[in-house]
Amino acid sequence: MTMTIDDKMPSDNMLDDTFAVMAASAVQPSEALLNAIMMDADSVLAVPITPRARAKSSFGAMILDVIGGWPSFSGLAAATVAGLWIGVSPPAAISDISAGYLGSTVEIQLLNDDIFAGLDL
Amino acid sequence: MSDADLLAAFANGQRTAALTLTQRLTPRVMGQAYRMLGNRAEAEDVAQDAMMRLWKIAPDWDADRAQVTTWLYRVVANLCTDRLRKSGRGVALDAIEEPADKAPSVVQQLQDTARATALRNAMADLPERQAQAVSLRHLESLGNPQIADIMDTNVRTVESLIARGKRALIAKLAGRKADLGYDDDH
Repeated sequence: MTMTIDDKMPSDNMLDDTFAVMAASAVQPSEALLNAIMMDADSVLAVPITPRARAKSSFGAMILDVIGGWPSFSGLAAATVAGLWIGVSPPAAISDISAGYLGSTVEIQLLNDDIFAGLDL
Repeated sequence: MSDADLLAAFANGQRTAALTLTQRLTPRVMGQAYRMLGNRAEAEDVAQDAMMRLWKIAPDWDADRAQVTTWLYRVVANLCTDRLRKSGRGVALDAIEEPADKAPSVVQQLQDTARATALRNAMADLPERQAQAVSLRHLESLGNPQIADIMDTNVRTVESLIARGKRALIAKLAGRKADLGYDDDH
């Protein structure tokens, strides 16, 4: 009679029998282990509980934090708008100052007039 | 007092709560680790590690989320499968000594040890979740719904993990039937 693969393999029941033997094995923790676990608990108790880490903030909140919160943000926004407006439409006093400083008024053409040539505006 | 209440008391600085939890939970944790690893020293390391994790998580414990014992089953199963896989598993069958006393009980005990060792070696090679599901079912004798809770999955997945795990174990032990003395029993 030839031996088949199945003959060589443990069956489900055999596996269960061995598991049953393993499951029945019991050990009790030693006194030394219980003491070590209590020492760990003591070490955790010795450290004051810190407040929970704050929830992860968004990128926007992080930026706001960096510049100092909403009051700083509104000041920064106002200064930005004022600077932009002064750049776009400088008051006469500013033009005079820049003309005095530079010796003359300087005009810089950012767009070529020809760019609009041919467009029916 | 429930485990969760004791854990909350511990988080509030009550040492006696830690003492009660240690006495209540360590035997269970130690037993699970020992059944999976088959080695007392390693089981003690795992038990201490698992309990340390419990102390550390105490301030953030959410009693509505899980039972302490369920959480511990998961932690111990994870720690043990990690160890099994990293160690490549321990004792070679040849290393188990022949008994001087050939009484049937001694021979049987030796055979049981050899089979358990072979099975643990085979479990070390299983995918982690299969090993965990098989051990929780067959070593801890837990029901599939509880295993599903522990493994944070559903019962059907647990059934599948156990079935695949056992098939793989049988395949891994192929050719060892006579070697492990199974022929004598069946």
